[in-house]
Amino acid sequence: MDASLLNIQPAASEPIYRQIAEQLRRLIAGGQLVPGELLPSVREVAAFHAINPMTVSRAYGIAESEGLLERLRGKGMTVAATRLANRTEHQRLALLEPQLQALARHVGELELPAEPVLRRLTKLLGE
Amino acid sequence: MNAMLRETESATAPLAVRGLVHRYDGCNALDGVDLVLEPGSVLGLVGRNGAGKSTLIRVMLGLLEPRAGEARVFGEPALTLSDAAKARIAYVPQQPEALAWLSARQMLDFVGRFYPRWDKVFAKHMLERWQIPENKLLAKLSPGERQRVDLIRALASQPELLVLDEPAAALDPVARRELLREVALRAGDAGTTVLFSTHIVSDLERAASEVAFLHQGRLLFRCGVDDTKERYARLWLPARMSAAAPAQSLSRHRHDDGSLSLVVERDSRGCWPEAAELAGARIDALGLEDLFVEIAG
Repeated sequence: MDASLLNIQPAASEPIYRQIAEQLRRLIAGGQLVPGELLPSVREVAAFHAINPMTVSRAYGIAESEGLLERLRGKGMTVAATRLANRTEHQRLALLEPQLQALARHVGELELPAEPVLRRLTKLLGE
Repeated sequence: MNAMLRETESATAPLAVRGLVHRYDGCNALDGVDLVLEPGSVLGLVGRNGAGKSTLIRVMLGLLEPRAGEARVFGEPALTLSDAAKARIAYVPQQPEALAWLSARQMLDFVGRFYPRWDKVFAKHMLERWQIPENKLLAKLSPGERQRVDLIRALASQPELLVLDEPAAALDPVARRELLREVALRAGDAGTTVLFSTHIVSDLERAASEVAFLHQGRLLFRCGVDDTKERYARLWLPARMSAAAPAQSLSRHRHDDGSLSLVVERDSRGCWPEAAELAGARIDALGLEDLFVEIAG
């Protein structure tokens, strides 16, 4: 993977480390990054985007704790070999957390009670 | 216990100030500022023009004596720094004036002799890269070129502490990005401590690990860049709910229709103030620039 694959928006309200972690999730889920693929080093990403290296390590750390990345001795960070199905339900649910929180916020803003939203969501999931 | 902890911290910290007060013509330029920089941190100092950024930097480095309070650099009183401590620091003022009778190349050759870790190759490379006419007298260069030469001087000395006052003003977007890259990588590779003031907030968001927000001579807050975005947000309340607004907020604006915008902070459990839960209330995440405008605007 090349550091240029990441798209950093420093002025966005989402912190840069979250932007990186989220993009790694999507690139891996979408198959653009395949198991075993080597990631650019923290320094390479920091240099390419002129961002603080600590921000990059933090993002890599999150992706590692989610089981997306794996640190290989002497090689660096690679895309983890584990398949989606091998991850626990809890880990997979964690990937949905940002969208669930956003949904909950919208529901609050629209002053909607929970029941009709849950009914609709249940229907969508059943389809 | 806390006081003792602070004593030991500021005894070794690259920069530490406590209780700084300074006035110009009876106006408070600094009004009780406490700030400690940890080694390896990159602190972006933001504030409006006249907020006291340059004054704070000058007092921190001992270039200006404060009315009250103390400033220390690597544990030494800033006003009486030893030569050894000075050799570990590089400072680039907004308008460098020193050695104006030399050309850029002569100046860099000259000052390079005083720095034990002077990087001659880097200095030469950057002069070309930033398109400085190296044989023209510094006095004849534009203010922007002059500050670029001074930035090269500061970086080539490979300091342990790098202090930059509004470095972005002199640089085009490409050169600015290069400077940020240098700053970020040096902090990561060599543990260089960096303090830079800026009003270009996106620069800070890239390279800085922390942000300090100076407003009317006071530090409004100091926080990790990422934490700032996660910890503060704008709470919007329609007019009918404005009575429910929390008493504590960093800023408060009432709009023409009676609705309220407040900058609020998560509590220790990570929750927004209760009013955010009311139906019809809205919480908007803010980038640093929006946060800055909400608070200082």
